[in-house]
Amino acid sequence: MLYYFVPDTTIFGGIKVAYQFVDALNALGIMAVIASPGGRTADWFFSHAAVVDAEVVRDSFRPEDTAVFSLPHDYAALRKLPGQLVFHCQGTDPLIDPILANSSVQVLTCWRQATEYVQTHSVINPIEVGISITSSFFYAGVPKFENAVAYMPRRGGYLCDEVKRAYASKRYIAIDNICEAEVARIMQYSSIYLATAEHEWFGLPALEAMAAGCLVVSLPVLGGMEYLDDGVNCRIVKSQDFVGAVGELLQEQCAGLRFRMRQAAVATARRYTTGRMMQRLALLLDGPLSSWRKIV
Amino acid sequence: MKNLLCAVIVSRGLDEMLRFCLKSFFESSVHLSEPVEVIVADNASPRPYNASSFADRRIRLLRFDGHKAFATACNKAVQESTSEYVLFLNNDVLLDQSSLLLMMQHGCNAGIGVTGSWLYFPDGRVQHRGVVFGRDDIGPYHLDRGRFLEPFCFVEDFQAVTGACMMVRRELFEQVGGFDESYAFGLEDIDFCLRVRQRGHRVVCVNAGRPIHFEALTPGRIELDVTSRQQFLERWRGKYTIDG
Repeated sequence: MLYYFVPDTTIFGGIKVAYQFVDALNALGIMAVIASPGGRTADWFFSHAAVVDAEVVRDSFRPEDTAVFSLPHDYAALRKLPGQLVFHCQGTDPLIDPILANSSVQVLTCWRQATEYVQTHSVINPIEVGISITSSFFYAGVPKFENAVAYMPRRGGYLCDEVKRAYASKRYIAIDNICEAEVARIMQYSSIYLATAEHEWFGLPALEAMAAGCLVVSLPVLGGMEYLDDGVNCRIVKSQDFVGAVGELLQEQCAGLRFRMRQAAVATARRYTTGRMMQRLALLLDGPLSSWRKIV
Repeated sequence: MKNLLCAVIVSRGLDEMLRFCLKSFFESSVHLSEPVEVIVADNASPRPYNASSFADRRIRLLRFDGHKAFATACNKAVQESTSEYVLFLNNDVLLDQSSLLLMMQHGCNAGIGVTGSWLYFPDGRVQHRGVVFGRDDIGPYHLDRGRFLEPFCFVEDFQAVTGACMMVRRELFEQVGGFDESYAFGLEDIDFCLRVRQRGHRVVCVNAGRPIHFEALTPGRIELDVTSRQQFLERWRGKYTIDG
């Protein structure tokens, strides 16, 4: 059995990616479940994944089992388990370096920059499994409110506040602590999305916003640069230029530009559908991950 | 020779409905290459079924004089079977000619633990095409129930399928401990599917022709259903993922 260990059920992107990964594996016929404290499930997004109690799993873990994890803090406890350990790399914090130093750990990466980080920081050759966006985000023709600006205040909230002060007549929608379906609904009708999280690795919310047809104004990120193309499908600006850049895009004469960039954003996000990720996974399951097909 | 498939039909009264159910099962089984059997569990019918009235020798009758929970009756019936697969079938389900073959073809691959089937009301609306789970008190419910809908794929994954027409390997059924007998009536099938999935097996729903399910014809089951639902939510709330 493949167990994907998650630390809790909170609204945190890494949790959702874990469930999505298990969903994809299940659909491809791999026996995989989520192992969560107390067997509790995250209920803020859609998933089919089965969930079991992590403590029970730890006590009954067999050498033929596989443990997958993505949070570096889980490494110390999980490395004691007898089976294969797999690190699903969702970020390139130096905290992961001790994991990468262990050549017996198999490493999966979600995006290019993470792959390159692993390649330069360890002897392990990582397997890039990709990342995907839930289908509910993809733009479905909902009328856009040109005045609506969505943002997540949890990180970089001060920048959002500056934008709000500068352009007070706009309608601002804070996305915080709400379920995925509601996030998708907000993004579907919003015109602009402010990606203000500094030192973001990938920035799944910004990609989801692009899928929903938002014009993303983002701070520079690390892994997310593989989908962000400044001036083509988004604007990438440093924090000191952020407010001004939003102001330019809000101008009446920029309507055409906004429209073109939104189209490019939706097109870019299509590279991250669940179907695409599953195609990639299916190929890997016939190649370097073929041992997973034997998991029972 | 070991049978491939055993249909377990827990039934109480509704003699005519049962007769049609059996007829449809055997007509559908013609397309299977290996032999089948049926265990009819007479769940304290006021007028007991008469073994001699079942002309087909592949039918065995298991009589309960006192009323048993659906789960208990099913578990006891499975103990009587030696078939490789068990098909739990409600007495008000009429299989399509192609149903069993399609369920075996598409639903019995490696990794699949439980196979359900699209079921239709007599007027052609969908009765069952998989069970999904809503937030909070919504819990499990039949996806697209009551809609006119055509299948768009042969096999689809779900967290659970209805026990009205559910196929499972007998060995797996026994490994998982069968249906939980503490359920009065209803939701024991959903509980079972969730436990199967916790072991990593898939639960799928198959487009298996156009089998008909009249649904809930057995008297008194609605009241029992409410109790079972409370029990189910107390046990599973927060432990299934939300997909509906």
